Amino acid sequence: MSGDSAGFVETATTRRISRRHTISGDLARAVGLWRIWVRLGLQDVRRRFRRSVLGATWIFLQLGIMILALGVIYGALLHQDLTSFLPFLTVSLIAWGYLTSAITEGGQAFIASEGYVKQIGLPIYVYVFRFFVSTTTTAAISALVYVVVALVLHRPSAWGVLWAVPGVALFTVACLLLTTIFAYLTTRFRDAAYMATAGLQVLFYITPVIWKRDMLRSHGLDWVVRINPLYHLLEVVRRPLLDSRPAPAASYLATLLLVAVLAGGAWLTARFYHRRIVYFL
Amino acid sequence: MALISIHDIGVDFHVDAERATSLKSALARLLVPRRTTPRTIHALRSVSLTVRAGERVGLIGHNGAGKSTLLKVMAGIYPPQHGTVHVDGHVCPLFEFVTGFEMEDNGWDNIRTRALLLGMPYRQIEERLGDIGCFANLGEFLDLPVRCYSSGMLLRLAFATSTAVDPEILLLDEVMAAGDAAFMESATARMNNLMERASIVVFASHSLEVLPRVCSRTIWLDHGRIRKDGPTPEVIEAYQASVAGQSTATAGAAAEHLAR
Repeated sequence: MSGDSAGFVETATTRRISRRHTISGDLARAVGLWRIWVRLGLQDVRRRFRRSVLGATWIFLQLGIMILALGVIYGALLHQDLTSFLPFLTVSLIAWGYLTSAITEGGQAFIASEGYVKQIGLPIYVYVFRFFVSTTTTAAISALVYVVVALVLHRPSAWGVLWAVPGVALFTVACLLLTTIFAYLTTRFRDAAYMATAGLQVLFYITPVIWKRDMLRSHGLDWVVRINPLYHLLEVVRRPLLDSRPAPAASYLATLLLVAVLAGGAWLTARFYHRRIVYFL
Repeated sequence: MALISIHDIGVDFHVDAERATSLKSALARLLVPRRTTPRTIHALRSVSLTVRAGERVGLIGHNGAGKSTLLKVMAGIYPPQHGTVHVDGHVCPLFEFVTGFEMEDNGWDNIRTRALLLGMPYRQIEERLGDIGCFANLGEFLDLPVRCYSSGMLLRLAFATSTAVDPEILLLDEVMAAGDAAFMESATARMNNLMERASIVVFASHSLEVLPRVCSRTIWLDHGRIRKDGPTPEVIEAYQASVAGQSTATAGAAAEHLAR
């Protein structure tokens, strides 16, 4: 058995083994165990703020300070009108924060749940969903900051907000898939966590998160943005909220394509590593 | 009907797993395929067995013989690399008591979490909450975060919760409660009661006194293989003979060595 992949060759026999470890079977069982992962996920959120005086208020404070500082400095630097720049910055940072935590925290789903995985034979997707619940809940709490900013600075029309629903849904699905992929990858290659952090840092600067696409257009670098799937992923959430109208069709298409690719990636990583996860822990 | 049917399974652990999990070595391996075989532990080799409803099966063997691994295969934790595993019925693995305990939560919430993890239906948890709290006998401590508990108190709570489930297939790994003497006595009674409620019990133990009382059938594992599978007294006798044989052999060798 040279190399660990050869040690676990998917032969006809291995595939026949126990229906208990098929990807679809485990997924269905895990969904049925929703009480467990909702409970564990919310427990993770609560634990983060236990015994801190301000508790979950920290989410608002962190974000609020960041937005104010960035808004004032970058708003002046980039000659932006604050009443439109601050809401833009708020949505962007909340969405980006969600994406980042789905990858970096979600990537720890199996590693952080090692005790559970090795002692209680629940399907491992329970732990993916657990981290999905905790990152999504944290993002939802931070989204309240946007509500405040939106109410104070501008009033989006109800129809505009409705257009955000498909966008937010796609964004959430993308985050769930990213958590799944990185949960597998990080367990298999511990370096993946560091690579993801480094990669996200670069992406933060080359993606229009805290700057707008128009700012690059004059420099002839528009294509950098156009081919960036994360830009489109942000747009389907941002555009409806900020401009009260749907994002361009191209952005929806690009986002759908991204979700499809991520779904394929999640399936592939599962295909390779699903049965072996417990041996990597 | 509860059933465990295992056919010709093999479970291997790769000692160098931690080396294999670095991206660098994976890439290196891709570029320069190495001939060396990674060190592998064959935790279970060609193990086959069937346990039917109503059976109480003991597992004996030295440390590292594969008892825990076999239990974890039955629990669906380790998918074997070879062979087939078929398990019918709700499995309740009791290898330890405290997984799922959240130090910042109070006793009641921890009962709920732990019971949920072991597969107790949600409504039943609320019904049995009182019983569990009563057996743990922790009084007002149940309203406090469990980080305030002594380790004995924590174990009592964990034990009370873990033994409140109704398992079809109960898998036990050398679980012996600690605690004061009075608790030990009621714990034994509660444990026996739990085992009676289960349709199948598989019990790994080093205690040759407890096994005959609980299990009519015993499986002796040796280096990942089944050495003997049969009525408990016979298997224990063979096991003891082998252990005695080994120790006299070692003693003999030592004596010979000294004599030189």
